[in-house]
Amino acid sequence: MANIDELVAKLAQDASAVKPAPHPFMLSLRWLGAAAIYLAVSFVVFGLRPDLAEKFHNPWFVAEIATLLGLFVATSVSAVLLAFPDLHQKRALALASAWMLALFLLILFFAWRSDTPPAPLPVHDIECTLGITMMALLPAMWIFYSMRKYASTHYRLAGGVALLSAFSVGALWLRLHEQTDSIVHVVEWHYLPMIAIGLIGLWLGKVMLKW
Amino acid sequence: MTDQNDKLEKLMKQSLNGDQRAYAALLQETSRLLRPFLSRRLSFSNEVDDLLQEILVSIHKARHTYDGNRPYKPWAYAIARFRLQDYLRAHYSDQLRHAVDFDELEESLPENVTEAGFSYESISAEVNKLPEKQANILQLMHQEGYTAREVAEKMGMNESAVKVAAHRAYKILRGKLER
Repeated sequence: MANIDELVAKLAQDASAVKPAPHPFMLSLRWLGAAAIYLAVSFVVFGLRPDLAEKFHNPWFVAEIATLLGLFVATSVSAVLLAFPDLHQKRALALASAWMLALFLLILFFAWRSDTPPAPLPVHDIECTLGITMMALLPAMWIFYSMRKYASTHYRLAGGVALLSAFSVGALWLRLHEQTDSIVHVVEWHYLPMIAIGLIGLWLGKVMLKW
Repeated sequence: MTDQNDKLEKLMKQSLNGDQRAYAALLQETSRLLRPFLSRRLSFSNEVDDLLQEILVSIHKARHTYDGNRPYKPWAYAIARFRLQDYLRAHYSDQLRHAVDFDELEESLPENVTEAGFSYESISAEVNKLPEKQANILQLMHQEGYTAREVAEKMGMNESAVKVAAHRAYKILRGKLER
């Protein structure tokens, strides 16, 4: 008990005014804004797919892009909330990205079912995964750097969600840049690696976000 | 109850503005709040004290993640639960590392299990014949129930040195008792 009193006195002595962390919604907005600028710049540099206007007449492509965008927004919000010890007391919202991921997978399933006859596979494969990874590196570093400033009590989940968020930026870029119609290719080389990397994030979260 | 919540939130807001007295009061209140929570989950009072100190330090480090606009208690309990889980995980993995494999145990069991070749007194006597440091370590770990980490803290050693010393002591004891 005496130790506790001593510790309290010492901590109180060290305590100076502290600026509280911004509200998680403000933080998410910052992330989303930065990612939007990053995507815009990369489209200027690498260009959009030439048939994009035409593709937007395909409802499954629109649904895929919309849910991918939704996944990016949901994971960004979740990652920020997971960086707070008490999830900013918004537990349901912090776990909303799981629902969004489920919806995204469902849309991919229907897109695959409607792909008849199947669109021809492109000649490349792993290049897409590498492209997404390269594109996601900067957002991933930035998200982890930002999250380390807070105090996550769910560091594994936070790492997974953060990496999923960063890689959804890369996946979004590639889907709007590369002229590929094969949903099988897109699932195999774009989205499955993206989800697998999200799982690696569980480990990375433990390494990077433990405090 | 609501009054106490309001009080804690007010104290935290004042603390974030640099009020050291409010901060000391808040930490005292927090430790009063968390002690029963930890006591229900841990067996030894020294464990409760150690963990409580760790939690207070964590609250101090993470205080910028609390803005004063939401209830204080869930925030403090989230940190306490997190540190408790960490502590229990480390504690049990420490115990597992020291657990003796049943196969290993079988080999060293005397055939006639009803007539042990040695008694508690004889083990105690052999422990006392060990070098002082090793004897102290075994006493703290096996008679007083401390973990290797706690023994390390108590004796000013590092945790792995304690484990190595304990391992050597077990080997010596085993050799002597098997003779």
